[in-house]
Amino acid sequence: MGATWVYAEVTPEGTLPSALELLTKARTLGGDVAAVALGPGATNAAGELGAHGATTVYASDDQVFADRPGRPAAHTLHQLIGQHTPSLILFPGSYEGRDVAGCLQALTGSTLMANVTDVAGPSRAQTEIFGGTKIVEVDLAGPEPRLVLVRPKSFPAEPSGGTAEVVMVDAVTPTGPTATIVERHAEAATGPKLEEANVVIAGGRGLGGPEPFAMLDDLAAAIGGAAVGASRAAVDAGWVPYAYQVGQTGKTVKPEVYIAAGISGALQHVVGMKGAKRIVAINKDADAPILKIADLGVVGDLFQIVPALTEEVRRRASS
Amino acid sequence: MNVTVLAKFVPNPTGTPALGPDNLLIRDAGDGALDPGDEFGLELALQLVEAQGGEVTVVSMGPDEALTGVQRGLAMGAHRGLLVTDPALKGADALVTARVLAAAIARSTYDLVIAGVESTDGYTGTMPATLAELLGVASVTAVRKLEPDGEGFRAERQTESGYDVLTAPKPALVTVTAGATDPRYPSLKGIMAAKSKPVETVTAAGLGVADLAATQTVAAVTEAPAKAGGEIVSGDEAVTRIADLLTEAKVI
Amino acid sequence: MAVIAVAVVVFVRRASARMTLLRAAPAAARTADPGARARRELAHVLGQRKLFQKALPGVMHAFIFWGFLVLFPTIIEAMLAIVDDGRSLPVIGQAPWFLFLVDVFATLVAVGIAIAFYIRKVQRPDRFRGSHMEEADKILIAILGIVATLLLWNATKIALGQTLHPSAEPVANALSNLFGTGQPTETLERVFVWSHVLIVLGFLAYLPKSKHLHIITAVPNVYFAKNGPSGHLEKLEIDLEGPEEDLRFGVATARDLSKKQLLDLFSCTECGRCQEVCPAWNTGKPLSPKLLIMDLRDAVAGVDPAAGEPTGEIELQPLVPNAVTDEVVWDCVTCGACMRECPVDIEHVDTIVDLRRNLVMAESRFPTEAGTMLRGVEGPNQNPWSQPASARTDWIGDIPVRVLAPGDPAPEYLFWVGCAGAFDDRAKKTTQSVARLLNAAGVDWAVLGGRERCTGDPARRMGHEYLFQMLAEQNVATFADAGITKVVATCAHCFNTLANEYPDYGATLEVVHHTELLSHLLAERKLLTTPGASGTVTYHDACYLGRHNGRFDPPRDVLGSTGLTATEMERARERSFCCGAGGARMWMEEDAGTRINDTRFAEAQGTGADTLAVACPYCFVMLDDAAKAAGSEMRVADVATLLAEALGEPTTRP
Repeated sequence: MGATWVYAEVTPEGTLPSALELLTKARTLGGDVAAVALGPGATNAAGELGAHGATTVYASDDQVFADRPGRPAAHTLHQLIGQHTPSLILFPGSYEGRDVAGCLQALTGSTLMANVTDVAGPSRAQTEIFGGTKIVEVDLAGPEPRLVLVRPKSFPAEPSGGTAEVVMVDAVTPTGPTATIVERHAEAATGPKLEEANVVIAGGRGLGGPEPFAMLDDLAAAIGGAAVGASRAAVDAGWVPYAYQVGQTGKTVKPEVYIAAGISGALQHVVGMKGAKRIVAINKDADAPILKIADLGVVGDLFQIVPALTEEVRRRASS
Repeated sequence: MNVTVLAKFVPNPTGTPALGPDNLLIRDAGDGALDPGDEFGLELALQLVEAQGGEVTVVSMGPDEALTGVQRGLAMGAHRGLLVTDPALKGADALVTARVLAAAIARSTYDLVIAGVESTDGYTGTMPATLAELLGVASVTAVRKLEPDGEGFRAERQTESGYDVLTAPKPALVTVTAGATDPRYPSLKGIMAAKSKPVETVTAAGLGVADLAATQTVAAVTEAPAKAGGEIVSGDEAVTRIADLLTEAKVI
Repeated sequence: MAVIAVAVVVFVRRASARMTLLRAAPAAARTADPGARARRELAHVLGQRKLFQKALPGVMHAFIFWGFLVLFPTIIEAMLAIVDDGRSLPVIGQAPWFLFLVDVFATLVAVGIAIAFYIRKVQRPDRFRGSHMEEADKILIAILGIVATLLLWNATKIALGQTLHPSAEPVANALSNLFGTGQPTETLERVFVWSHVLIVLGFLAYLPKSKHLHIITAVPNVYFAKNGPSGHLEKLEIDLEGPEEDLRFGVATARDLSKKQLLDLFSCTECGRCQEVCPAWNTGKPLSPKLLIMDLRDAVAGVDPAAGEPTGEIELQPLVPNAVTDEVVWDCVTCGACMRECPVDIEHVDTIVDLRRNLVMAESRFPTEAGTMLRGVEGPNQNPWSQPASARTDWIGDIPVRVLAPGDPAPEYLFWVGCAGAFDDRAKKTTQSVARLLNAAGVDWAVLGGRERCTGDPARRMGHEYLFQMLAEQNVATFADAGITKVVATCAHCFNTLANEYPDYGATLEVVHHTELLSHLLAERKLLTTPGASGTVTYHDACYLGRHNGRFDPPRDVLGSTGLTATEMERARERSFCCGAGGARMWMEEDAGTRINDTRFAEAQGTGADTLAVACPYCFVMLDDAAKAAGSEMRVADVATLLAEALGEPTTRP
């Protein structure tokens, strides 16, 4: 089989973890492994990419990759594919990954499978359906390279030691209309919107007042990519604004994980969050209805559990 | 300003799905609706056209009953519809869909194409980017706010850490996030008016798209290892169990 | 004579504006069962029944009203006497009993006016806030003038010896001592009779422009009021396939108001009894039923009938938001307290729903959060919470329940579980209690399970009549297919809709509320309790069971058999204060003022009872939420669950 390539997301601040995770997986598939790093910070990343299994790193530090999402990277990749004919390309399941892979598919006419949880080679990948209760094995066919978008955190990142040969490439600037980034805003404080967040932590009447919501903010910050919401009871009591409300008369959310702290689980609230892939409920009342629909129900004092959980999350993230 | 909106007809989003013997979803004919995610795009299109003048066209690819999804778009206020329906397209993947839609959309003039970020049933989230490239238009995904800006558009795009602001020339394709707009509820007058709005129906052959080969087939479906579904814990192990779940869900 | 002619002409000219409006307005189908209508006319108008719902104001108005009925012939007599001095009415004019009646009632009218001024100027009740007090004062003074001049005229007639039986008129007789027998009295007699007639004619001319027009319009308004329960909204047929000109989407402009609705507007006296009991107004919201009717009336009065038939050229202003704001229209919980109080049978709720129908169906303009409910009811699962239909039997657990499959033999009673009873955790406990009780009593019953669909009540109260129509037709077909004849429901809203509104769509059902059935089973000794439960309970009357449908006693009977000691809230039975969920407000946020459910719960808490008993899942949810918000230990539970516990049936404490 031909080589497996990994599309590595790089920034001037460093390589994104997804690149290292995908390289670790790519090593197990047999065949050569290369990384494609496009954008400022690419050449600096080569060392780390090599240490995780890339024998070659195709790099370009051109600013155009940072300023214009999707197209320049896809066209540059397409040219590289024409020169080196890999069999399989792994992309991270991020906004950028989807843009590049989607655009590339139009150029290569090859198959693109998304939400992949495991990959066996250019002809076999795996995903989950029905809220993670069923595993689906899929055969991939058609022209190569096969394109695979991998769900975040599907694989661990393990260095293998090793160095990569860096091959500088020219950026291909495609003709035709392209979008340009003119401003960048980091919303570290407020985080992602409630409807968009991967993880939602919601507080209810059990919090007892507005101040404990800071505890939930801490947990959200520790987890990253998390938003804080609330049940109607907390909003009605005036502890948090209506924008936080999750439920029938508030927002409907479908995160990967929904953590309900001090929420009883009235139907009115459940309607807004039952689409979550996993539900964790923390409540001191063992009869609270929410414990019946939670994947993991915790009967206990949220004022102990939430801070302890924040600590544990930080501990695991740093190790 | 002419806006084309992609509207996917998806099976009942709140029903309990089941797989048939061919490992494809069992779909109750008639038990489907316009993808709720596409309504955000429809609303954005209607708002832009109400402010700037022009027309909104709803485009859908699906079985015969997908017409109801198109009609809902018309009832909300869109001006015309286009339904691509063909038995040969059953089970079409993202690439085939993009090719078919590109052929369908290219037949008319437009300033903007709007889609949802990902569909409720497929949720690949890549088809719009592929479509944009095939059409040869600028593409901005995960848009949470869009305004006309001179000869083009100005968009706020959701990122993992916040948002970016982009400019894009016309014609462009954008995908909108949930919550970008508040979709209007079609009035009865709208539903009635929808009946007399033009809807064109075409087949894949009629569009000149020949390569419909499927490139992904389901090899096997197995039960996932039993999750700790519905377990209740208390005491000291609680924190560890939650952290384990978060790890398992790959959010930390 | 000329004077009379002038007054009559003025009256007719002014009244004709209103008459033209009435003629042009769409008809309302209110002619059925004239017997019932006549009986209501006698009770409400002649008997002043609704006015006596408030004691002192009732007495005040009855004196004045009955006074006018009795005194009407004296107006004729006065007019005759102007033309022909000394003339009195034939037959009765000099009869002692007639003279006596006139004297007594004229005095009572004066007493009534005095009471009226006492109420308005000394007691100053809040229900008059927003009413036109000066106009009312002028009318009262005019009435006083009428009876005063009458008594004085009679007094002078006595003084002049024109009356045969002066002792039959004690008051006038006493007054006659003020007058001598000679010339000044003769002039005064003329003065009094003329001023009497002039005041009356002036009154007549003033009438059509003032709220006192109610003396004419109230008579037909009461006649054409709804015959059946107040919870029964009138059907608005919507046929999207039919001709577009025939489609009505409720009330958008003044031209859409029906004849009955216009009569409503013309009959309002601004008494404010409705405002006084409105849950929205009482919790600081801008909705007052009185102000709503007044604002609509003022908008209608601005309509120029000379503009002729609507040709589309004259753009009549939409009533919402120009006469009443959107907020006011959506604040209503459709509890019907206003209609219960109104002495002239104005139907505020029906008009509000008609305004909502236009807002929802024609303009799609409504509180966004209610859209989730509409999408749920409209969508494939057809329930407000978008729960899968298959989950409707989740409550069953290990209780023996027969779920009807298509083709199964029909049970005696279909237990209509309802969406709340199937999907809401608290309401499910009621469902389970009722199931156990029905089993214990040996009733032949079954449920429809996944074939149940929302009755459509929340959609209808919100104004989405078309969606309601679709659901009603669907459910009626399901009932027919399954051969259902009797239905028992735990939700007061389902009960009202199934019992009163589904017959308009062809259903032939006997519908009872679960408290009625349980009360009946207890009476028949099919359920036996040893009243051993201890503690106190207060019962909250659900609006759609109590006030709208007159079922106050069955829940109390059931509670009585549990052994709990009952204590009543001040606002109980017909005067019950809504829990706040009606009118589809269960699905909307309350933005202004204090919460209706919190207010009601505080009242319940004030009784000191341990338990607050409810008979409807909406009340259950609202009051239980309020209990939690108040941090109260008071238990909120359905009547059925309390009975089940008294029976020793296993229940989980809600």
